Amino acid sequence: MGVLHRQRWCGATGLAVPLLTLASPAFLKIAGVAPSWAVLWLLPWALVDGPASGAIAGLCLGLVLDGLHLGLASEVPALMLLGWWWGRIGRRSVPIERSYNLGLLALLGALLLGASVLLQLFWSGQLPLVEAGLHTLVAQSLITALLAPVLCSLLLLRWRRIADLRS
Amino acid sequence: MLGRTLRVPLLRKVAEAWPWWLLLLALVGVRLSKGAGFMDAYALLSRPFWPGSAQSEWLRSAQHLRDQASLQMLKRDNERLRGLLALDRSGGGRVSAPVISREPGGWWQQLELGKGSVDGLRAGDPVLAPGGLIGRVSSVTPSTARVQLLTDSGSRLGVWVARVQRHGLLVGQGTARPRLQFLENDTGVRPGDVITTSPASTLVPPNLLVGVVQSVNESLAPAPDAAVQLSAPVDAVDWVQVVTR
Repeated sequence: MGVLHRQRWCGATGLAVPLLTLASPAFLKIAGVAPSWAVLWLLPWALVDGPASGAIAGLCLGLVLDGLHLGLASEVPALMLLGWWWGRIGRRSVPIERSYNLGLLALLGALLLGASVLLQLFWSGQLPLVEAGLHTLVAQSLITALLAPVLCSLLLLRWRRIADLRS
Repeated sequence: MLGRTLRVPLLRKVAEAWPWWLLLLALVGVRLSKGAGFMDAYALLSRPFWPGSAQSEWLRSAQHLRDQASLQMLKRDNERLRGLLALDRSGGGRVSAPVISREPGGWWQQLELGKGSVDGLRAGDPVLAPGGLIGRVSSVTPSTARVQLLTDSGSRLGVWVARVQRHGLLVGQGTARPRLQFLENDTGVRPGDVITTSPASTLVPPNLLVGVVQSVNESLAPAPDAAVQLSAPVDAVDWVQVVTR
């Protein structure tokens, strides 16, 4: 585990995720669909702080976000899996910094998260129209991947510097 | 010679009176054309004294007043009759609430309201916007309430098509247009039909406007269904009214 989670205010930035999800600023939407703020915050966190911390952060974020939306579908499993996976990638010898990589990881993360929600809606019999589901999935993945190079790289550099200083 | 002297002054007199002949001719023209020139001249002269827009406005406002009075009387009558039938069990209190978060796109179609159980809101309360019903409260906290919009894929609401006197089920699809499912095969529903809440409903206030049928798919196997455009603009609503019980 890394050292980032010991910095309380670093973890407190995670509060921005539910706040942004609720505020859902209209200028950051594609075709009425907002980006997945959880993916945008979790990606740099897990890359810097490792798989265990990433999975726990994913659990915390998922629990809060599940409380903010309708129905019983949960984002916890997908976010935990993503946190763990990105944490493992972050432990590699070559650090991920290029915006292309960040965008690609965010795209895959948003796709996985959306697909898990879609599957749960399908099982609970509340599946939206196929076109509507695909539209939401594609739009959310695209806007998340477009924002990732901007937001994630800033957070990643900042947190990596803090982690280097503290370790 | 005598005749000539007689005839010439007579003719001259007749010829000298030509303006009168002309006048007579003009009057005959007036008679034959049913008073054409006269009426036009009268209209031209009296134009400043015609009944103006003010008068038509008085008439319109009088009509408006009459309509409103009769609407109120009908409403009161309707409430009395509903009371006799014991159909209207709702307390009828309405709470205005601001929309503090709006997510009409995405995976869940929902609103967050800035009033909650402290103000008397309960889960299941119907939520109205200018234009009609938009959804129902799904959960409340002391100071906020979450509204499941009619467009959400988990939303189901019994509705009524007044023109053909049919019940239907309005099913959210995750798009802006929910689907109206019917129970019978031969419905006769056409695009343009107005959809309201059921007149016998006790869950939501009766006879509330919900939307308009956009298109009907007759070819569907057990019973036809229809796409519905909601009458309230969900994307733009800032304040809503919650009907508390």
